[in-house]
Amino acid sequence: MSLILRTTLPDFDYLLPSSLDELLALKAKYGERAAVIAGGTVLLNLIRLGFRYDYVIDIKGVRELSAIEYREGKGLVIGAAVTLRDLENNEVVRDKYRVLWDAVRQIGDFHLRNRATIGGNICNPTLQADTIAPLAVLGASIEISSMRGSRRVAIWELVKEGGGLLLDPDEILTRIYIPEPPKGSRGAYFKVWWIAGIAALAANIDNPRERIVRIAYSFAPSPKLVEGVERIFRQEKPLKVLIGDAINYIKTIVTPPSDARASREYREHLVEFGTAYLLRKLLGVEV
Amino acid sequence: MRISLTVNGVKRVVDVKPNERLLDVLRYRLGIKSVRAGCLVGDCGICTVIVDGKLVKSCLVLAAEANGSNIVTVEGLSTNMRPSPVQRAFVESFGYQCGYCTPAFVLTAHWITENMVNASDEEIARVLNSVVCRCTGYKQIVDSVKLALKWRREGGER
Ligand SMILES: Cc1cc2nc3c(=O)[nH]c(=O)nc-3n(C[C@H](O)[C@H](O)[C@H](O)COP(=O)(O)OP(=O)(O)OC[C@H]3O[C@@H](n4cnc5c(N)ncnc54)[C@H](O)[C@@H]3O)c2cc1C
Repeated sequence: MSLILRTTLPDFDYLLPSSLDELLALKAKYGERAAVIAGGTVLLNLIRLGFRYDYVIDIKGVRELSAIEYREGKGLVIGAAVTLRDLENNEVVRDKYRVLWDAVRQIGDFHLRNRATIGGNICNPTLQADTIAPLAVLGASIEISSMRGSRRVAIWELVKEGGGLLLDPDEILTRIYIPEPPKGSRGAYFKVWWIAGIAALAANIDNPRERIVRIAYSFAPSPKLVEGVERIFRQEKPLKVLIGDAINYIKTIVTPPSDARASREYREHLVEFGTAYLLRKLLGVEV
Repeated sequence: MRISLTVNGVKRVVDVKPNERLLDVLRYRLGIKSVRAGCLVGDCGICTVIVDGKLVKSCLVLAAEANGSNIVTVEGLSTNMRPSPVQRAFVESFGYQCGYCTPAFVLTAHWITENMVNASDEEIARVLNSVVCRCTGYKQIVDSVKLALKWRREGGER
């Protein structure tokens, strides 16, 4: 891969299928020679950086992939080509899926979110993908389709080291399913640009036996949903103490990497700071 | 491939290559010189145009993807060479210096006045955040937007 920056993009053909069948047939036919374009905010930059494709297949012609559907008790179904702006403007997302809404509003900038899609965010083969940790704490799964059929997988199983998804060359991410969130749940996202993202969700705060606390970290290259946090919060101790216990536990599990953007030590500091910030905020605990 | 665009109210049919950016087609094929290249990777927002009512960075849109859409650039804001109230607000509040980013800011301000007449300072900042000015601070730019909003609320023309 050459890193020479250029203004003109190298040649490729542009295809605009108008149905899902047609889209899947094209992806099956061209496989790795073709890239899907949703918002294009990553893809065009990748092509500029040296990724080469013979075909760019636009998924925005497939209407059903741009739909958001909510059914009380069932949850939310989001098409892969739904833009981040549509999510930001959606009242159900804002009110019920707050952790996702909070993360989406912190992605890129206003103009970018008019184009950028949630599917592109999840599939983004570079390191930043701010929707993944929120989707993990919400227990989301994704539908992956090809001519061979479709499969549904918990988002966590699909995220591989280094970001990006384990898709086969003929596969396309088609929908995101998010179950009804726990009643009365609150959520928030803590972000330090290009360095750290932490998503947290809490419910039934006043009842230790039913208390729900979930937290996920997104550090390149390996996002992580920390299991076992809930167990800590089910104990009958003051919340302040439990937050301390949780942070100590999390620190043994979340081991962020060092890279050009930040040292491991700095990221460890952010784990501690961000976790404390989010848990205090969601659980209503004063410093 | 042949695409058709409505640019500032005028239908334009143009032959483009599949790999051409909307930015380049507007600027070089259609001669709309307010559309300018900045970083070309979506960071700076200088190439902002309004596509189907939405502010977008035209460096990250293929012209082919914009086929059939309705595009507004700064050229579309003035009537008979008379600047629009938003443009006049930028003059009045000195919301520019070298001018390179000005079309992007003016279009962004135009969108705000059309869609968020009662925008708070924070909301204004959230939208303006998409465009970078490297000459100076953003104070006068924000002032320009606020002045345009004020005129708009008080009933249009100054
Ligand atoms: C200035 C700037 C700031 C940014 N800031 C952030 C940020 O703060 N946080 C963040 O997370 N990201 C950020 N990004 C990255 C990017 O904008 C987002 O991740 C965005 O959501 C990607 O969506 P898209 O629709 O534009 O993706 P595209 O560019 O269309 O696609 C991204 C990749 O996924 C593939 N793909 C897309 N859709 C599918 C699908 N349905 N099935 C299979 N493959 C698919 C494409 O082939 C491509 O490889 C930023 C980008 C820019 C330019």
